[in-house]
Amino acid sequence: MNRWPGSYVPALVVAVLAVLPVVVLFGLAESPESLLEARNLRLLLNTLLLTGLTALGAIAIGVPLALLTAFVRLPWNRLWLVLLAAPLAMPSYLGAFTLHAAFGMGGELENVLGLQTPSVFGLWGATLVMTLYTYPFVLLTTRAALLGQDASLVAAARTLGMPLAACLWRVVLPRAATAVAAGALLSALYTLSDFGTPAIMGVDTFTRMIYVEYNAFGLGRAALLSLQLLAIVGLVLFLESRVAATPERPGRALVLWPRAWQAPALLLAISPVILLALVLPLAVFFLWLVRDGAGGFEPAFAWNSALASGLAALAAVVLALPVALAARAGRFGRLMERVTFLGFGVPGIVMGTALVYLGLQLPPLYQTLALLVLAYVLRFLPLAVGSIRSSVESLDSGLARAARVLGAGPREVFFRVTLPLTRRGVIAGAALVFLEAMRELPATLLLAPTGFETLATYLWRMYEAGYFGRAAVPGLLLVLLSGLGLAVMLGGERRAEFGLSGDNRS
Amino acid sequence: MLSVTDMSVDYGSTRVVNGVHLELAADEILTLVGPTGCGKTTLLNGLAGLVPMATGAVRHPDWTATPDQPVPPERRKVGMVFQDFALFPHLSVEENVRFRLADHAVGERWIARLGLDDFRQAKPGRLSGGQKQRVALARALAHEPSYMLLDEPLSNLDAAFKESLRWEIRDALKAAGVPAIWVTHDQDEALSVGDRLGVLREGRLEQLDEPETCFSLPATRFVAGFLGEAAFLRGELADGRVSTGLGDVPATPVAGATGTVDVLLRPDDCAIEPVGEGGHGHVSLARYEGGSWLYAVTLDDGPVVKARTSHEHRIAPETRVAVRIVTTHPLAAFPAE
Amino acid sequence: MRRRHFIGALATAGAAGALGGIPGWPVHASETGGAAKATLADAPSVESLPSLEGKLTLYLGTGEGGLYENVLKAIEKRNPGLELGIRRGPTAALANAIVAEGQAGVRRADVFWAVDSGAIGLVNEAGLAQPLPGDLTGLLDPVFRYERWAPITGRVRSVPFHTGRFSAKDVPTDIMALPESGLRLGWAPAYAAFQSFVTAMRLLEGEERTAAWLQAMARNARGYAGELGVVMGVERGEVDAGLANHYYTLRLKAGKPDAAVDMAFTRGDAGCLVNASGVLAVNEGELAVNFIRYLLTREVQSYLAREAAEIPLVHGVAPPDGLPPLSSLSPPELDLTRLADLRPTLDLMRDAGVL
Repeated sequence: MNRWPGSYVPALVVAVLAVLPVVVLFGLAESPESLLEARNLRLLLNTLLLTGLTALGAIAIGVPLALLTAFVRLPWNRLWLVLLAAPLAMPSYLGAFTLHAAFGMGGELENVLGLQTPSVFGLWGATLVMTLYTYPFVLLTTRAALLGQDASLVAAARTLGMPLAACLWRVVLPRAATAVAAGALLSALYTLSDFGTPAIMGVDTFTRMIYVEYNAFGLGRAALLSLQLLAIVGLVLFLESRVAATPERPGRALVLWPRAWQAPALLLAISPVILLALVLPLAVFFLWLVRDGAGGFEPAFAWNSALASGLAALAAVVLALPVALAARAGRFGRLMERVTFLGFGVPGIVMGTALVYLGLQLPPLYQTLALLVLAYVLRFLPLAVGSIRSSVESLDSGLARAARVLGAGPREVFFRVTLPLTRRGVIAGAALVFLEAMRELPATLLLAPTGFETLATYLWRMYEAGYFGRAAVPGLLLVLLSGLGLAVMLGGERRAEFGLSGDNRS
Repeated sequence: MLSVTDMSVDYGSTRVVNGVHLELAADEILTLVGPTGCGKTTLLNGLAGLVPMATGAVRHPDWTATPDQPVPPERRKVGMVFQDFALFPHLSVEENVRFRLADHAVGERWIARLGLDDFRQAKPGRLSGGQKQRVALARALAHEPSYMLLDEPLSNLDAAFKESLRWEIRDALKAAGVPAIWVTHDQDEALSVGDRLGVLREGRLEQLDEPETCFSLPATRFVAGFLGEAAFLRGELADGRVSTGLGDVPATPVAGATGTVDVLLRPDDCAIEPVGEGGHGHVSLARYEGGSWLYAVTLDDGPVVKARTSHEHRIAPETRVAVRIVTTHPLAAFPAE
Repeated sequence: MRRRHFIGALATAGAAGALGGIPGWPVHASETGGAAKATLADAPSVESLPSLEGKLTLYLGTGEGGLYENVLKAIEKRNPGLELGIRRGPTAALANAIVAEGQAGVRRADVFWAVDSGAIGLVNEAGLAQPLPGDLTGLLDPVFRYERWAPITGRVRSVPFHTGRFSAKDVPTDIMALPESGLRLGWAPAYAAFQSFVTAMRLLEGEERTAAWLQAMARNARGYAGELGVVMGVERGEVDAGLANHYYTLRLKAGKPDAAVDMAFTRGDAGCLVNASGVLAVNEGELAVNFIRYLLTREVQSYLAREAAEIPLVHGVAPPDGLPPLSSLSPPELDLTRLADLRPTLDLMRDAGVL
């Protein structure tokens, strides 16, 4: 290699930054005595099962919803998209808790509506909850990719006699495979690192063991186990990297017009997801709010959440861009990109502690908003990298060359061609980071300025204290605010819709 | 084969195709021409069932599509050739052509006929534009459609190939005996390949007739101007003739023209001759076209007419010329504006 | 943890009245009861304390939740000159953060208030806790006097049993005899309080006997996620008896007075260990110490006893209703900071297959 691609230097800096917390973990971990006990193997199996099932579930829900929100002209389609993405901002432990409380014998559904429902518990319960709170990863990455696909191949296949469903399956989805895989990867890594949901659902996972160790003041062993968990993370990362992309020319996206009766039918079909992931938890909280009474909430918490998450989203996409571009430029770039994902699979509380050690290297910044934002960026960089990479991969490299021969330098090409053409991926990445930062807890608790309360920390505090009713208002605000943030970001998508008026009607 | 009545297509709140009527006869090739943004691609997509209709009906011997009872593209037995070819990038030429064929024989016939044998294993990414378009055509025809829709099939090709491929496609369609609607923005292409020609403007079909009729007896001034160089000369219509400043010519009234009319003059309708003094006007523009010269002549009383001469006749600008109307067919007479 | 709303009702039953601050503040007329020992002075009232001025950062390890918040609010209200910054988090995470800050030479926390003496032990071991003045620790029962931290409230291990079928006499007074008692038992091995209890047993009885006890228990005990779940399981009759901190039974009965559950206590062994939440000063200075003084006033102590059913550790404050006086219990003598040594306990529990 005689000369490095331009993206490599900044990508290397970002990759090193992103892997630092993991390096800290190596420093904290104690030396392994008994690496794999039989018991650990059982936990590992549980973990793999839950992770695999959740990834499949997230694809099963996320992909159809991505098709729906990308292609189908529904009334208020942006509203549906925002609602469908909002579960990403809800802490999954709250979903687990309320679903567990609502279903089953003596559950709230029976108390209030007299409905007999099966209880949500165990591996299947955990899978359901994790799926409901991670499918938006798949939805957002896939949707961004679908919107970048030119519709003419579908038109060709349909006029050749292929039914629409088969077209979506055989012509559209294979081209979105990298984006689907990127989303499923995030969903799998999130599941690996989550503790609350498996604990509430009574599933014994590797992460739960890490928490037991951590809470028993065994930070060293918790770090060691987290590093062992990285073996699974590595496996998932490897599997995901096997999904290859075929570059294609961007074009106008497929548009499907539902018949008059189809629109309500489609909305009816997606309603269970919204009902289960958003309406039910909020309804249960409001029920408890009525029973228990409210108090103690300050609107400033919402502003704090939005501010920190918004800054994190912005910073994350800026840092993710060179990494995503490097991933396309060569083998080493690909490696750097993979490395940034490692931290996302580490349980939050362990990662939070590693970030405390990192933050303490910059004492003046320790426990300031700036450092909190940096911590979010380091934790959630993969979210931005993943979705930007999938849009970069489908970018026709001829366009960059065209700009070069027009006399543009690499910088100018980046800002005037690459960036605008990957805007959808950038927006999807920013949205993912924003939503994920809204619900982040451990790093916020440890690294935010003292007294900096966010919706997520307030929710957690009320939950811990057993004031479940008081989770209602911040829970609702979390949904509204993330919806608002999403709407703003998706507004930027419109500018990414190229040449609609020209080509489409000629 | 296909009967379209009062078809409209909306894009959002904009009506992009507006009340189109047309009949497509078996084995007929109908070209649709119009400026960018006139709705021709949308009309085609509507006929393919790719976009929903707002009003009207499309009748086919096997089905009828209306806004309330749409027929999806895959059930229409339609073939379509796209401007960007729309070849499946992950499939080879052969696999593209055989996309949904149970019987490969038909596919083989078209592969052979369109000369695709040598690169049948290649992926579309490696093909030239002309090759891609042949693959796209073979693919559509191999699926034995009952009608074909071609969306600017030549617009992405080199000028050198356009002419030959134009006839190749026409011959293939005729050989297959499939009626086709061929959309283009190139008036030469529209006039030459179509059995009939439709001119679209702002979503409306302004004229649908044989190409010669459209050219020489356009229904509107827009059609007249769109299909070729057009000049208008004021005159008085009486008994099938119009008396103009350049003499008395046979004329057919269009759009209910009577009395004072403007007759349509194509460059080929006029001959010019340099004169020292007198004449009707002076050459205001001269353009070399390879086989001929095109001149614009500003008449002394104002209007500009155009004329072609052989490439050997070169007349300098500002030269005074005499203009003679040489046509024998009646000219189109529009109501004066 | 079967019926969540019930838990909610339980937790808020205490909190609802407390939201406006601590009732009866500032002067809570003489709380009597409790076997006052003549040698000890009664706990001071807030009235006698100096007012707090300046900036103070408190790391508050949550777990038992909102009642501590009410105490803090009341202290802030009383001391307008106090700029109290509160960082809340899981107790273990805050303890780890304090240790990390200590290693980096950064001092952010002035005071650390933990629900768990184990976390106190961790910070203490790292040498980050400041010595407390004798007149402060002297307010506590001698058993609870430590040089570098102050227990705030106590909780005693208990054996909740189903009152419909059993009486306290049916419960052995020796914790080591419990597995062979013939009772169907409930426990929560993953629960921190339980692990502290096993640690105490390990320190008092030795590893071998503890391992044997764990194995014997594992054969017929039913597992619950938390100890409130254990108590609720006992009340419903799913099991005959269980192992839990005392306040879960008291809180359940506060929300449901006719609950079919009561507590028995073993004698002189880990089964009736009194553990404590505690507070330590990370930074030197009067302010931190004076802040801690507020937590040992009779107003705060009686509030926590009344609302959270925790055991007051100063004199002159009555224990929560329904709990025998501390003097009638016979807890083992044990340095609570040693309970931070959880590692061997977890290993034991793992080897016994209960974790």
